[in-house]
Amino acid sequence: MKLANVAALYQMRLRAQLGQELLALLGIAVGVSLLFAALVANTSLTGSFERTTKGIVGKARYEFAARGEGFDERMLSKVEGLSGVAAAAGILEVRAQARSGRLRRSVLLVGVTPDFAKLDGAVSPVFSYGWLADVTALALPTPLVHELRLTLGQSVILDVSGHSVVARLGTKLQASDIGSLIDSPVAIAPLHYAQALSNRVRQLSRVFVVPKAGQDSRVRAELTRLAAGRIDVRAADFDAALFRQASQPTSQSTAMFSVFSAMVGFLFAFSAVLLTVPQRRQLIADLRTEGYGPRTIFKVLLFDALVLGVVASAVGIVAGDQLARHLFDQRPVFLEMAFAFGSERITTPTTVVIAAAGGVAASLIAVLGPMAPSLLRGADIEPLDRKPGRLDSALLSSGLVCLAAGIVTVIARPSLAGIGVGGLVFLTVAMLLLLPLILRRLVALLDLATEGIRSIVPFLAITDLRDPVTHLRSLAVAATGAVAIFGSVALQGAHADLQRGLDRTSADLSSIGDVWVVAPGRANLLATTPFRAPTLRVPPGVISRFADFRGSFLDVGDRRIVVYGSPASARRPIPRGQMIDGDTTRATRLLRAGGWAVVSAALANQLGLRVGQRFVLPSPVPTPLRVSALSTNMGWPPGAMVLNSDDYARAWGSDDVSAVHATLAPGVTQAEGAQELRRALGPRSGLDVQTAAQRERDQRAASREGLTRLTEIAALVLVAAMIAMAAAMAGMIWQRRAFLARMKVEGYSAGELWRSLLLEAAVLVGAGCAIGALFGLLGQSLLSRALTSVTGFPVLYSVAVVDALLSCAAVTLVSVAIIGVFGRRAASIDARVGVR
Amino acid sequence: MLELHSVVKHFASPGGEVIRAVDGVSLSIDPGEMVALYGPSGSGKTTLLKIIAALLRPDSGAVRVGSRDVLALSKREAAAYRLHEVGFVRQQPDFVPGASAIDNAALKLFDELRRRDARRRVEPLMHRLGLGDRLRHAGDELSTGERQRVLIARALSTEPSLLLADEPTGNLDSRRSRDVMELLCELCHERGVATLLVTHDPLVAGYADRALELHDGRLQDYVGDSSHL
Repeated sequence: MKLANVAALYQMRLRAQLGQELLALLGIAVGVSLLFAALVANTSLTGSFERTTKGIVGKARYEFAARGEGFDERMLSKVEGLSGVAAAAGILEVRAQARSGRLRRSVLLVGVTPDFAKLDGAVSPVFSYGWLADVTALALPTPLVHELRLTLGQSVILDVSGHSVVARLGTKLQASDIGSLIDSPVAIAPLHYAQALSNRVRQLSRVFVVPKAGQDSRVRAELTRLAAGRIDVRAADFDAALFRQASQPTSQSTAMFSVFSAMVGFLFAFSAVLLTVPQRRQLIADLRTEGYGPRTIFKVLLFDALVLGVVASAVGIVAGDQLARHLFDQRPVFLEMAFAFGSERITTPTTVVIAAAGGVAASLIAVLGPMAPSLLRGADIEPLDRKPGRLDSALLSSGLVCLAAGIVTVIARPSLAGIGVGGLVFLTVAMLLLLPLILRRLVALLDLATEGIRSIVPFLAITDLRDPVTHLRSLAVAATGAVAIFGSVALQGAHADLQRGLDRTSADLSSIGDVWVVAPGRANLLATTPFRAPTLRVPPGVISRFADFRGSFLDVGDRRIVVYGSPASARRPIPRGQMIDGDTTRATRLLRAGGWAVVSAALANQLGLRVGQRFVLPSPVPTPLRVSALSTNMGWPPGAMVLNSDDYARAWGSDDVSAVHATLAPGVTQAEGAQELRRALGPRSGLDVQTAAQRERDQRAASREGLTRLTEIAALVLVAAMIAMAAAMAGMIWQRRAFLARMKVEGYSAGELWRSLLLEAAVLVGAGCAIGALFGLLGQSLLSRALTSVTGFPVLYSVAVVDALLSCAAVTLVSVAIIGVFGRRAASIDARVGVR
Repeated sequence: MLELHSVVKHFASPGGEVIRAVDGVSLSIDPGEMVALYGPSGSGKTTLLKIIAALLRPDSGAVRVGSRDVLALSKREAAAYRLHEVGFVRQQPDFVPGASAIDNAALKLFDELRRRDARRRVEPLMHRLGLGDRLRHAGDELSTGERQRVLIARALSTEPSLLLADEPTGNLDSRRSRDVMELLCELCHERGVATLLVTHDPLVAGYADRALELHDGRLQDYVGDSSHL
């Protein structure tokens, strides 16, 4: 048959079954859109940071990066003077808070020189502006200008390095100037102006180096010699690797959700396509009768599948793009504490191809799969339970093997991300294999339980559930609910465990001091911005003692870890409840004595460190320490370390602090203490006073914001599942109208028939969801353990039975309610239809 | 038992023409009597059946089954009337998919009896209909004739006073038709069920006590090939 004729045949059939085809199209489109949006969100997060980094570093191959606050700017001349260096440009980066009236925003103050133009990066034009040489003004990205409601020339207050300074807005930067940095909270200033504003006179944070052709290794060797072990020499785009590592948990969890989204979408499509199976089987029979061979029949079906797949994928990608634009665009704000990154949405050809291929593959499987027996043997489709004995044994044994593998993975505390994900795959496959058997047993139980009921309602529901012709469709509906609830319960449960763990960390870290004096701004939630310790004079009887707290980010290997220098005098210098290996009392004693550090387990694993072992901290002044205990990552994905505040000062070669803790005198409330400290700081201080409770609240809010995307994707998956199940069931019910009419002829009322449809829907959807919830609790356990052992997150595990039940009940109720509306209409069919 | 008096049902065709599906039909069937209603396609047979089954209201006339005025029934009462007092055998074997033969036969009893009791009640009838070894078989495991016999069992399961049979042998070969009709006749006579048998097959009409012909909505004595009767 010619292609044009195949197309004409398709067109004719499309008119007859437009509703079912549209339903199938919707199913595939939903799956593709969720998959595409999740992929775009992930690609954009790391991709936008990589683009920004590349845009800044341009042709630079190496960076000379300070480990602490900075190094002397004369180092730039020394670098430029190296024989293999073609060009070099210095930069100063200081965390600050910009204020305008009551509006405030954490920013990264970046000091640059026109030398930056030499790097020839995508954002170089802005650095070549003449004003950079001598003006004393800031250049802010336009969105930030709008956020702070500033106008050109207007004053903006910067809280930086422990004091407040007034700066002027000189330029509004556009996307054409700074590319993806447009949405980043950066304030760009001429280097000398930035140095003056931040009190970092003659200091640089990084120098980007462009080697002469063929001089790469020579330059690296020269830079390493010049660094003398106190400055990092690494690839110019090394920050991208650090960011990738830090954002890994976010990316991985989004990726996992996208897989579940795709599965729900596929099952949706599969259920919808199954509605057209009788028509397609008839078509095969007709074509065969008319003398067409298997190749032609295959061509006709393939055309069906490809049209459906391509159109649905296109619709899904368009919808997914909108989802990525409007819903999945939240940035993990907690990463802003250590990285300045934009929110550019990046759609790569690979993302489009993956999403489209997924859609077309789903369509091919859904259309050709059920037709395979007809195509291969020329027979009608074999119902699943035609040979129940053999099939059941195969399903049971393979399901149990997968379940055992999943449980073993849960118990074995997965030590590799791969095994954790593998365990999740085992559980999903086990669930899908065991689902038909569990469902059959449930129906048998229901049959037994309703045997004594004098009503047609349970009988009709049970026989429909047992109908071999619609069995596959029923299973697809139940599987949709099972997969969606499984994913939701497992990931949301693990999310809740993680949130509880993070909340405890926030409480532990905040309670080190009663009242904190810190640099302001959300980006300083972990108290990592250094400043010169202020002199605080408070009336006697308010504060019993002050203590210096130090902290900052430090690059160790490919991780940007957070290092806390906890005061020895603090009641609990080591956060309680964060220990994984080691005794807190002993670790506290050793930390107070000095020379010991608590290291997060994942970092220790990477560095091959065990409790008691010595190591050299790659700080500005490399410092030997010993591991006193292993902890969680204290909520910072790349890892954390706690040492004595004095050890920290030596290791950083600076007396600067990043917080001053005040322990209150007995009887003084946190609010009273905070008020006295604010008075002591005075109105011109660039510092903020926060109570422990306030800090805990802010940290909790930030961690919740960081996990928002997961919550939203989970909700979308559940909504998609509800629509999928309701649509599939409604389709099934709609096709059963003639039967319902015949039942009416037999004397049964619309109400009885409707109740039987509702019962059938409730059993199918409810059982699918319940099975999903049950396996989801196992999945939650697996993921929580994986989070603890792989990333070292502080996870507080609990069996989220109530949450699982609520998700299960909500999805079941909403789906059954939607089905009920269709069921009511179907059941009110005119009985006369049954006597035609 | 069944009494129809001057029943009229007209429909308007899309072209505006009036179709006289049932035009002043009067008919009476006694308990245990089988009446064959013969007529070609489109003669109004099924319309008449729908009116008797309270599925369609006539434009005028009266329909009584026993002492019951069928036309005065509410929707709910009409459903109860069909469930308890009328047995319906159709050309298409209306099997509940996924249900066994005995469950299909006992379908009309599930509202008044527990399932086990309903099966027990209908089992002797199934044996009588030669389906004793087919009780647990699903619809697709039965032959067309067997399925039709299951539906006869269903129709008679509630011991109705009226049986409506719409081309009950339409899908059967002549031998099977004969078997089914013989059983139907025997059971209806034995149980005193008034039976209205709609057919366009003169062979089937031959099993009836009386045969009438519906032509253009009007009832008349059957004047077809009398050799079959």
